[in-house]
Amino acid sequence: MPPAARPMRYGHTEGHTEVCFDDSGSCIVTCGSDGDVRIWENLDDDDPKSINVGEKAYSCALKNGRLITAVSNNTVQIHTFPEGAPDGILTRFTTNANHVVFNSDGTKIAAGSSDFMVKVVEVTDSSKQKTFRGHDAPVLSLTFDPKDVFLASASCDGSVRVWKIADQTCVTSWLLLQKCNDVINAKSICRLGWQPGSGKLLAVPVDKVIKLYRRETWDNQFDLSDTSITQPLNVVVWSPCGRYLAAGSVDGSIVVWKVETQECIERMKHEKKYTICGLAWHPKYGQIAYTDTEGNLGLLENIGDGKKPDDKVASAVTKGYDDLFDGEDDDYLNGDMIEPQSSPKAVANEEDGGDDDDDLMPTSVHPRQTVIDDDDNSLDIGLIKANSTVLDKEDDYDDPVLPASSTQQPLYDGPMPTPKQKPFQSGSTPVHLMHRFMLWNSVGIVRCYNDEQDNAIDIEFHDTSIHHATHLPNSLSHTMADLSTEAILLACESTEELASKLHCIHFSSWDANKEWTVDMPEDEDIEAICLGQGWAACATSALLVRVFTVGGVQKEIFSIPGPVVSMAGHGDQLMIIYHRGTGFDGDQCLGVQLLELGKKKKQVLHGDPLSLTKKSYLTWVGFSAEGTPCYVDSEGIVRMLNRGLGNTWIPVCNMREHCKGKSDHYWVVGIHENPQQLRCIPCKGARFPPTLPRPAVAILSFKLPYCQVMTEKGQMEEQYWRSVVFHSHVDYLSRNGYEINENAKNQSAKEQQELLMKLFALSCKLEREFRCVEIADLMTQNVVNLAIKYASRSRRLNLAQRLSEMAVEKASELATAQEEEEEEEEDFRNHLNAGYSNSATEWSRLPVRNIQQDQEMEDAEEADAYEEAEETPEAHKQRPSLFSRGVVSREVTAPKPAVIASSSQGRVNPFKVSSNKKDQVVSSANVLDSMSKNAKKTPSSSSRVVNNQKPSVIKPLIPKPKSKQASAASFFQVRTPNSSEKIVEEKEEKVENESPVVKVAAQENTENKRPRTGFQLWLEENRANILTDNPDLNETEVIKEGMSQFRMLSSEERMVWTEKAKGGTVNDSTEAKKRKRPAAGEDEGKKNQEEKSEDLNLSKKIKPLDQSTNVRLSAFAFKQS
Amino acid sequence: MDPAAGSGTLWAGLRRRSANGEGGRGTRRVRVRCRRGPPGCRAPGTMEPAEAEFLAEKELVTIVPNFSLDRIHLIGGDLGPFNPGLPVEVPVWLAINLKQRQKCRLIPPEWMDVEKLEEIRDQERKEDTFTPMPSPYYMELTKLLLNYASDNIPKADEIRTLVKDTWDTRIAKLRLSADSFVKQQEAHAKLDNLTLMEINTIGTFLTQALDHMYKLRTNLQPGESAQSQDF
Repeated sequence: MPPAARPMRYGHTEGHTEVCFDDSGSCIVTCGSDGDVRIWENLDDDDPKSINVGEKAYSCALKNGRLITAVSNNTVQIHTFPEGAPDGILTRFTTNANHVVFNSDGTKIAAGSSDFMVKVVEVTDSSKQKTFRGHDAPVLSLTFDPKDVFLASASCDGSVRVWKIADQTCVTSWLLLQKCNDVINAKSICRLGWQPGSGKLLAVPVDKVIKLYRRETWDNQFDLSDTSITQPLNVVVWSPCGRYLAAGSVDGSIVVWKVETQECIERMKHEKKYTICGLAWHPKYGQIAYTDTEGNLGLLENIGDGKKPDDKVASAVTKGYDDLFDGEDDDYLNGDMIEPQSSPKAVANEEDGGDDDDDLMPTSVHPRQTVIDDDDNSLDIGLIKANSTVLDKEDDYDDPVLPASSTQQPLYDGPMPTPKQKPFQSGSTPVHLMHRFMLWNSVGIVRCYNDEQDNAIDIEFHDTSIHHATHLPNSLSHTMADLSTEAILLACESTEELASKLHCIHFSSWDANKEWTVDMPEDEDIEAICLGQGWAACATSALLVRVFTVGGVQKEIFSIPGPVVSMAGHGDQLMIIYHRGTGFDGDQCLGVQLLELGKKKKQVLHGDPLSLTKKSYLTWVGFSAEGTPCYVDSEGIVRMLNRGLGNTWIPVCNMREHCKGKSDHYWVVGIHENPQQLRCIPCKGARFPPTLPRPAVAILSFKLPYCQVMTEKGQMEEQYWRSVVFHSHVDYLSRNGYEINENAKNQSAKEQQELLMKLFALSCKLEREFRCVEIADLMTQNVVNLAIKYASRSRRLNLAQRLSEMAVEKASELATAQEEEEEEEEDFRNHLNAGYSNSATEWSRLPVRNIQQDQEMEDAEEADAYEEAEETPEAHKQRPSLFSRGVVSREVTAPKPAVIASSSQGRVNPFKVSSNKKDQVVSSANVLDSMSKNAKKTPSSSSRVVNNQKPSVIKPLIPKPKSKQASAASFFQVRTPNSSEKIVEEKEEKVENESPVVKVAAQENTENKRPRTGFQLWLEENRANILTDNPDLNETEVIKEGMSQFRMLSSEERMVWTEKAKGGTVNDSTEAKKRKRPAAGEDEGKKNQEEKSEDLNLSKKIKPLDQSTNVRLSAFAFKQS
Repeated sequence: MDPAAGSGTLWAGLRRRSANGEGGRGTRRVRVRCRRGPPGCRAPGTMEPAEAEFLAEKELVTIVPNFSLDRIHLIGGDLGPFNPGLPVEVPVWLAINLKQRQKCRLIPPEWMDVEKLEEIRDQERKEDTFTPMPSPYYMELTKLLLNYASDNIPKADEIRTLVKDTWDTRIAKLRLSADSFVKQQEAHAKLDNLTLMEINTIGTFLTQALDHMYKLRTNLQPGESAQSQDF
């Protein structure tokens, strides 16, 4: 089983450090060059107890409640442990001592100093000192013989000496080390180790090996070495049982050997390769604490966990049950000192490890484990309890059994429960910090300072127009805060004399009393608080949620099924997250309730399980600015409630993807749906930011985890669904009677339909007709019409047929007020930007224009419309139809409202640069633009569908004046592959000259402007005749009639018309019209011109599409066949 | 907020400042353009430091506004939208204006950091030639930002000193090179990595001095030389 190395943590300032465990192993004690001794309850202890022992602490030792330190004022002093009160000075040197050690029973200490001397002092009576002289250089380290007969010391003179304590004589001396003049120059501090218990072996780290010397004979028994050691070893330490030996090197590797077999059982590498200068075994478990010269503290777990069956242990165990179960009980008794988060994890790890072993060696039985487990199981509780009374006798632990941790575990192979995560406030940093954020949300920041001089709360608003920044004394030591645009809510937990309090500062109150406080009942602690609009809520340890008005009236109170984890409020919504049960194997088991506390009180989510990433916990809960519940887990996954899919949770962002480093995180401060922004603070190497320097907010984008987002299809699908998800709040809000921004709603609808159309075109291109239909199913009526056009234009008649069937179906579903068609049409025309309606006039309109000109010329069109209206008044009454000029006439009503709409949207800022020049190029954007505007009207469109469909049916009947292509063009559109890209701002005349080149901008807008064929020209001329001949013909029939007449013309005549169409068409059309226009109409024309320029602005404001997509799209949109 | 109204208030604010005579920065560009005066009253191709500063005011800095305002459309381009608490890039002139009205918190440019500036200063001292500066307007920006937003810049005094040190080193180098240029009677010299402000501190004087020296050296007629003394 691999030893679990926990990440190191900062312990002291850089410099030499030492570490030891206290006798029971319940805490780690370190000393460092900052002169402090710190007592850590465990590695995660963020607030270790510090005892200042001097300017610099060189070494420390701990036994029997006495803490001995060697400090920079050349003394060796005692402090009581764990209180840390000074308890006298044991001895002094002329310079500082480098190492102090206790003997095995804690009655004596030995200290070696830089003044070449070694002293042994009785702890209780400092007058009984023994001095050992003989070293010729500073003494590096010392170790006591466990039987108290000998003392070994290493020195900078290169020698390791063994002294007889009784008569202070040197028994033996080896010249092993490199000579040097001072401790700081020594290659290794050469911490020696004498085997505990029998004291048979003395371990000396010599360069890269450990030499073991036998007691009495003082011969080199054997060496321990390992290939992984590349640098000199600094520290050697024996396990308390004396069977394992650990050594730390100057390059940060830690190696553990099993002494009996001389095999290396563990190899660890310090994460930063700092020099290991302190090592200590846990007195009972297989843990090694270590420190480095940079002041970091680390912990290795599961060291020496029995890999091999070991009868010796078994026997030792049977012999020493007392120890064993004392240890066990002790652990549980000290359980409160160990943070639950860490200890069960360690246990779980050990269990996992055990399982692994089993898996690896399925056939080999673990005699030790089975034996012990059986024993464990057979032991009755009474015995354990009885044994636990022996607890006080700490000395019994001098020869504890090392692999106790695993042997002591009761046999349980199942998943281990995860410690429940503690309640937290979203957007706060840990409570133990002196300077912390109590809250950072979209309203403001609440900071808490809790140091010697000051205990205060600072409240700052992002928007100073809400309220000015405030500074409050924190006399009640509030730990929780929430902030809304109305109030500040603070809460503290109960203390011995004071009850838990909820404190609200209702700054938006119009009376003079802005504050109120509520005391919780006794034994009820507030664990989470939140603010909504007009209410405040708190969840307490009594599993109650209490709701107050923001003015302090107590309102609803209800129980929640489990301990609260966090709460969030927004508007009327209250979200509570609580522990639904116990999670296993690192997972949390959370439930969520969502309530609406408005007029109609209801529960939306009834305690549903909250989906979290595996082995993660909750880090942020809240609402988006628009009021959609969201939460973030510790793996950086942001999830949002998808109200469109039965209140499911959809992951909208993986923040870890944005992180550069592995230990970097983002700390969420707010979520916005429109615009889509995830506001968070990047934290380098941490989960939360410090208060200083003031962190800056960054913005992340959302991304749904759709497949194959690298492909165009996947990308568009992701965009589409993201748009849908992020705009579902609009529906929710409108359902709940909120005012919503129509503009934004339309924008989103447009965006979605655009994406659908693009997807449709893409599928068309890929010959995926079935998929096309599926996509079209998601479209609105009008876009379906467009899709039909597209399909028929790209000669997918089957597809077009199916789509039109679908459209009819859809239309029939929507068929309601057919008879109101006319008015409705007028209505929606108000919203139109004269784009789509123009298309209805396709036969009457002019060819060869690009978008730009389109806009410029529309005034002319409208003027024409007036004319036509005068000329053909009867057209008004005519049913609107595709080929009727009457349609144009209806436009007479249109321009004004359209203009109003546009000018209300368009800004009259002279400096406003039209949002994007590219837009002029991006023709399809305009197409889709007008399309989605149409999307708002419904019933009328169905009629148009039919109309639009007709041409595809008539098509075969059309005579072919030029070519097949031209005929198709006459009905649909001339397709020039590159047209849309080429569009530029050209003067009307210029394009007219170019007219034979047939430039067409967009499918829809330009439908009416594409070059006319000879037939069209002819028809224009002769329409009146036909109409007078057959006054009751409708438009289609007129055309049919026209066609047959045109076909009857001689080929020469037809050629003339065709030539006309090719050459002077535009000239005579526009110019002629202009000439025709009476002088009186010119004013109107000018007015229209102005209006059109507004329109132009409007159209330019349209959000630019991705350029490349557009180009590609238009490229195949206009490709022939 | 209605966008039009929003930008309107902002503009009104800008105008008000200048009306108060506090030197509103929004209208400053107009003022400076006017001050340029008739051509020919200055040596051609030279500018005043104020003009260099004016150009520096177009540089973008990041601010955290404490108000909410839609995108504003100005002659130099669009700015915003401004969301309270959300960093946004704006030109220095606007940043300073907002800062003066306590409408924002300024986030100093990345290079405005003691460690980085120390490195730059040391590098500048070490090399004989000019080293590239973190910003072409480092002096102007330092001056402007430290004058108006020193409370948002950590260790403002140290930064001021460091930039001044760097500046002094560079100006000394410039003088030295001008000196050797004149002494060696060179006709052509090339100086890389000079900023606009630095060129302007020496440009006018150097070119005029060279003119004079040229006149003296080429033995001008007494009449003309007398005229030149009138200067």
